[in-house]
Amino acid sequence: MISIDTLTVRFGGIRALDGLDAQLTAPICGLIGPNGAGKTTLVNVLSGFVRPYSGAVALNGVALSGLSPRRRVGLGLRRTFQQELVVDELTAVENVQAIADHVSATRQSGRREVTVALDFVGLGERRDVLGRQLNLYERRMVEIAKTLIGRPKVILMDEPGAGLNESETDRLRRLLAEIPQAFDTQLVLIDHDAELIASVCIDTLVLDFGKRLALGPTRAVLDDPAVRRAYLGRE
Amino acid sequence: MTEISGKTEAFVAAAPVTEITLATRAIAVVAVVGLISGIIAATCGGYWLSNFTQAYCMVLTLLGCALLYGQLGLVSLCQWALVGVGGWVSLRVYHSFHPPFVFTVLAGGLGASVIGMIWGLPALRMRGLYLALVTLMLASAFQTLVVVTSFPVGGPGFLGQVGASGNARVMMARPAFAASDTAYFVFVALITLLGIFLVEAHRRTKPGRAWALIRKDEHMAIAAGVRVVFYKAWAFAVAGFLAGVAGALMAGLFGQLDASAFAPTDSIIVFIGTLLGGYDSWLGSLLGGILTRFVPALLIDFNVNTYLGFMFFGLALLMALRDPLGIGGRLTLLAVRLWVKYEGRRRG
Repeated sequence: MISIDTLTVRFGGIRALDGLDAQLTAPICGLIGPNGAGKTTLVNVLSGFVRPYSGAVALNGVALSGLSPRRRVGLGLRRTFQQELVVDELTAVENVQAIADHVSATRQSGRREVTVALDFVGLGERRDVLGRQLNLYERRMVEIAKTLIGRPKVILMDEPGAGLNESETDRLRRLLAEIPQAFDTQLVLIDHDAELIASVCIDTLVLDFGKRLALGPTRAVLDDPAVRRAYLGRE
Repeated sequence: MTEISGKTEAFVAAAPVTEITLATRAIAVVAVVGLISGIIAATCGGYWLSNFTQAYCMVLTLLGCALLYGQLGLVSLCQWALVGVGGWVSLRVYHSFHPPFVFTVLAGGLGASVIGMIWGLPALRMRGLYLALVTLMLASAFQTLVVVTSFPVGGPGFLGQVGASGNARVMMARPAFAASDTAYFVFVALITLLGIFLVEAHRRTKPGRAWALIRKDEHMAIAAGVRVVFYKAWAFAVAGFLAGVAGALMAGLFGQLDASAFAPTDSIIVFIGTLLGGYDSWLGSLLGGILTRFVPALLIDFNVNTYLGFMFFGLALLMALRDPLGIGGRLTLLAVRLWVKYEGRRRG
């Protein structure tokens, strides 16, 4: 569970987040909003890359404020970035093993987790292929596999579906829906694709100008007239 | 769209996946180093053998420089100064304690490793041109210092100097098992082989993977739980260690070291050699190291002004910038292709 308590982030004169209050409790939560609404800023605050001006965030009751990004990883926080960051010179399995090196309890459990994660995302047979030889979908899958290592408690995914075609997004959707149960974790999904959010996320938080526009069951939130106006651009 | 992605998949699957085992690679390292060293040991003596021994010290230094540049993208222009640091420490340790030669070499390596780590501290904040300039200035500072203090020659006190006459100079003795020039060269070749294995072992295990993440994106590495500061420092420590070992081996070769041999320009040449040979393969460091020593030695042998060497390296740098793989990378690629072809034919 992620608790956000009157969180404000300022970049110069701009309030990227403005007194945000929210409790994300559902196993899969969506995080949507127009460009510049503060979605990525929120992920950066949660993962420790941006220091808030005021307010606090907590992970399953543990206050995160003041902890280094690495400590947060130790507490079970995982994240992906908007662009995929697969290392070209490493194989798929090495890309995931590079995470296990630092977050798995033992070397053995690490190797086991890497195999499980790669099989889960469907890359079991492509594990020894170099990063540069993987296609975009496979690279996205490697990014997801990386977050599944070391018993994650919360995974923040920043646009995992960017650049994927329809059938690939379909496969991604089914995969994401299985993650919370398969890995006993909570998933927070940021995406522009309202369809993807609607089909996967149980609850959704909508941000607009750094403020909370709506939070609740996804369908109800997406049907909220205020949300439609701000985000979808229609009445 | 689906069709396109299907095509990519088929294309990728058809691309040859090189199945070269670690054992094969290790054998290739031993074979290549063994062959080149064997030819040198069998055919060279005197001037050329001494130069090739120095060339192998250069190879060790390049291995470290290539590690920093290839694994982390860090340009360090103080690696030859670290050879000097290693040489200084090993001479100091030798004249104080007269330990077995291997310990003297290790002391030089460890000394330069610590200094290398300290000199690498700016890399935590800067990279590219700025880091290159800072490390180059450190190399200059070292030269200034060592010109004033000189290398220890067995005299009293911390600096170990013996006064102007120089009659009381004590030479550092080579180990009994490698007293002759040829035996010493073989010994240095063996250490170089170990150096290659040290770097390859790093590249292919946990540190190598951590460096790859840092190189790709530092924030991603942090979010993956990598201790970025530690792994950067470790890279400098390994590079410094290799340079320090090279310095101790140089001290063993000559019995003493001369301050004039550690100009900052030599550190620049180490970096050029790294690019020329190729920073992503051990073969690159091996060939780059030999070449950077061989060319000046050839010029001296032909009685040509050695400054001509700088022009050669300048031109070589232009070539190297055009091809990031370098000579070693190209040859490795060729060898891998031939090997895959051969294996494919053998298996039918």
